[in-house]
Amino acid sequence: MQKLMIRFLLISIFFSLLFSCKTYQIKDAVATDNVIQVVQNQYFSDKSLDYVYKTHIEIYDSKMSGIFIAKRLNDSIHRLVLTTDFGNKLLDFEISENHFKVNFIMDNLNKKIIINTLRDDFRTLLQVNNKIFKTYKSKNEIIHQTENNQYYYVDEVSNALKKIIKTNKRKEKVIFTFNSKKATFADNINIQHYTIKLRIDFNQIIN
Amino acid sequence: MKTKFLLLIIVVCSLKISAQEQKMSAQEITKFKETIENQSKNIKTIKTDFVQIKHMDFLTKDIETSGKMYFKSPNWLNWQYTKPYQYSIIFKNNKVFINDQGKKSTVDAKSKIFEKINKLIVGSVSGNMFDDKEFDITYFKTKEHNITKLIPKTASIKKMIKQIDLYFPLKDATVSEVKLIEASGDYTKIIFKNKIINAKIDDSVFTN
Repeated sequence: MQKLMIRFLLISIFFSLLFSCKTYQIKDAVATDNVIQVVQNQYFSDKSLDYVYKTHIEIYDSKMSGIFIAKRLNDSIHRLVLTTDFGNKLLDFEISENHFKVNFIMDNLNKKIIINTLRDDFRTLLQVNNKIFKTYKSKNEIIHQTENNQYYYVDEVSNALKKIIKTNKRKEKVIFTFNSKKATFADNINIQHYTIKLRIDFNQIIN
Repeated sequence: MKTKFLLLIIVVCSLKISAQEQKMSAQEITKFKETIENQSKNIKTIKTDFVQIKHMDFLTKDIETSGKMYFKSPNWLNWQYTKPYQYSIIFKNNKVFINDQGKKSTVDAKSKIFEKINKLIVGSVSGNMFDDKEFDITYFKTKEHNITKLIPKTASIKKMIKQIDLYFPLKDATVSEVKLIEASGDYTKIIFKNKIINAKIDDSVFTN
């Protein structure tokens, strides 16, 4: 009886390992040659522009509304600020691939888990140049995988970035979806988390 | 020659500043406070348009939003953005009603923070903010305005707001402009336009 039990356990461990080890796979896509080395996210790339979005954040059962402002200061650094509708700052970050600085954060948001989650999301959202590790092709899209397992979905015709999927090798962690009329400006953006209950929506404000 | 020119600029600029803003005398302060306090006692309603300008040094352009504000004594308030998006926040009977582009929600506002926001907004418009416990207050005058500068005393507020400037036109005992200056020097400026005191405002304005 005990032997049977052990065998059953071993089998189930084996199967669970087999399935959980399955790496993240893109549906209906085939690997192709890397024609380019770098995939660009141009939505926050123009140094002469102030990017201003009305923002809604839903975290667990709390909802927040405010204004998201981002500007590319130089080739590597973006400054981003989140304010309430009244204009007072909730947070003020400087961010690049390897650098992160908190200029200001409200006391009740000043928690490591909040700062780190927002830092990672905003870093992915703002970073312009991303080094390609592998490239795939699906029906209408070219998909570039980066070394840190982020997948950039680019429309083959318009050349516009449609979404970024962040994975933990096996599963989707966060999906960034961009709605745009042109490849350089996003009208709406949605960030949806799958490992925590967090959703952020951005709607462009004409300033 | 260059230094002389520079010196001249500095002198002219400092002259201009001192001509612009003068400290009020003790007598003037008493009189000014009396006028504001008397006037705000008589305020039953306020209806005004506003323009909100957010200035941040790193931006190319200031961010401008605008809308309408309605106030009914003692503490009903509707602060409504109409441009470039629709968003209203109503403070009424310890409740906050939010209408965010059609999405409606209600928050219990028994918390001190909402009480403070309400007091701050109402005080900003009426000008009755002479709370010595909360602020260090100084008084100035120019050719066009009486100005009160409030420096918060509480450390937690100081972190967010370094100073609040209230501008009162000489002929008017209510505020025409509020400037909220952050510790970093960035600021939010709110300018009130087309203000009507004690106009009839329907109660339905304060429902979501």
